[in-house]
Amino acid sequence: MNERISVDRLACILCPIGCELEIRRTDRGLDVQGQQCEKGIGFATEEVLYPKRNLATSVPVKGSETRLVSVRLSDRVPREMIFPILAEIEKLRPEAPVRRGQVLIADVLGTGVDVIATRTIGSERSPRSDP
Amino acid sequence: MKDDIFPLYDVVVIGGGPAGLAAALGARRAGAGDVLILERERRLGGILNQCIHDGFGLFLYNETITGPEYAERLAADVDREGIRAETGAMVLDLTAGRLLRVNSRSGYRLLRAKSVVLAMGCRERTRDMIEIPGTRPAGIFTAGSAQNLVNLQNIRIGNEAVILGSGDIGLIMARRLTFEGMAVKGVFELLPWTSGLERNVRQCLLDFGIPLELSSTVVEVRGRDRVSGVVVARVDEALRPVPGSEREVKCDTLLLSVGLIPENELSKRAGVELSPLTGGAVVDETFMTSVPGIFSCGNVLQIHDVADFASHEGFAAGAFAARFARGELPAGDKVRLCPGRNVRYCLPQTARTGTAGLDLSFRVTRPLRSCRVTAVGRNSGKTYFGKKYGRLLPSELQRVSIRPAIEEDLEVACHE
Repeated sequence: MNERISVDRLACILCPIGCELEIRRTDRGLDVQGQQCEKGIGFATEEVLYPKRNLATSVPVKGSETRLVSVRLSDRVPREMIFPILAEIEKLRPEAPVRRGQVLIADVLGTGVDVIATRTIGSERSPRSDP
Repeated sequence: MKDDIFPLYDVVVIGGGPAGLAAALGARRAGAGDVLILERERRLGGILNQCIHDGFGLFLYNETITGPEYAERLAADVDREGIRAETGAMVLDLTAGRLLRVNSRSGYRLLRAKSVVLAMGCRERTRDMIEIPGTRPAGIFTAGSAQNLVNLQNIRIGNEAVILGSGDIGLIMARRLTFEGMAVKGVFELLPWTSGLERNVRQCLLDFGIPLELSSTVVEVRGRDRVSGVVVARVDEALRPVPGSEREVKCDTLLLSVGLIPENELSKRAGVELSPLTGGAVVDETFMTSVPGIFSCGNVLQIHDVADFASHEGFAAGAFAARFARGELPAGDKVRLCPGRNVRYCLPQTARTGTAGLDLSFRVTRPLRSCRVTAVGRNSGKTYFGKKYGRLLPSELQRVSIRPAIEEDLEVACHE
């Protein structure tokens, strides 16, 4: 039997520990080693077959160029969706007030994932809360 | 002038970032009554506010959130506990007697504290500190200041960037600038290894095909009014540029991500002893500095790669500060914890004899594989701690717990 084996090495990016994973791709599937927690196996499988990422950016609130609300996705999306989603987010001009966790775009580009605010913005510019 | 006319707090925390907010919570939960946070910015959260990327909170909240979310949650906890947090309040001076001079929204005032927790964070190293020759045009930013301009002020900082140094903020900014439509021409790192976390190399550089060149540096900045390019060169083992390896990379922006320095100006004013290895205070097992009643935690104590760990340190330091404020002074002789082979530093630097279950953090000097970390008694040769690691990187701050009661000076070493 001549089994085809390819080995990938990659750092898990699910948390800052960054376990170094070794993934053997055999005819029978994937064999993952080096993870310090069970999430590593899922990550490695996903990373080799269909990598996913979250993304973060910030957009100005309506009527202001300098008051920004930072946003992220409610869950990770396939990596190739990053730039199409960024283009959608760029059109956003949310109206203040915005609260942390508020959905700004639901189901962005049909990914099943929402664009959500990651900070709270008051209804008026107040010296207490703005940077 | 007699000091006792000024208001006296149990615990005053200087700095309202991930460490300071946690320190205030730690102090309150350990029973401190009057806890005050002094934050010079107009918002609590410190550097978290500009760190809009995700990856925070995994240890504290058991989920991955962004910096602003982490800050808001921690600040909400502080609020819920009824802790007073004063923003726009800058501490101008701190004495060894724990008298603070503060410039606040309501004007200049003085106050006293039974305990002070230092949580001022850190600063970035600048071009001056690494001495890059060349012209002095516009377009050179530290990675963190670029992060502030882009993420908080909506300013486009340029079109084509080169990043010097592979610190985490530089890697994060490589991705951020790519998102903003800038071309990132490359990341150049002096050392033969990256100084940022593996996950950031992968998701910030590899994902976008941004080249990473190790053992290389910027040897010249070009451009008159604005940066027009930088000259990069390979370096040899002694980190000296290799003649003949120079090449120009055209760019209009240079980002520096070349290290962080604990911001200890106030600590120095109070006479706190600093460690040349960490740039932060020398502390004991209670995070107390050489000045009684002054504690230190977070990036002002040692540079962390994860905000959660800065908070973890804050919780502990705050709790010890609360005890000190109640007059519970730790007793016992002090022993020293010293870095040995392949260990750049370990912290705390001292501990009282009889301390058991000590949380020790350390960094290694270079990447190590299949190694064993030990803490060995200098007198008895007894092994207090031993653990095997598959891999250790200088970019990763390690934390371990030394279970047995410590009775002598220890040397922390890493053997390959």
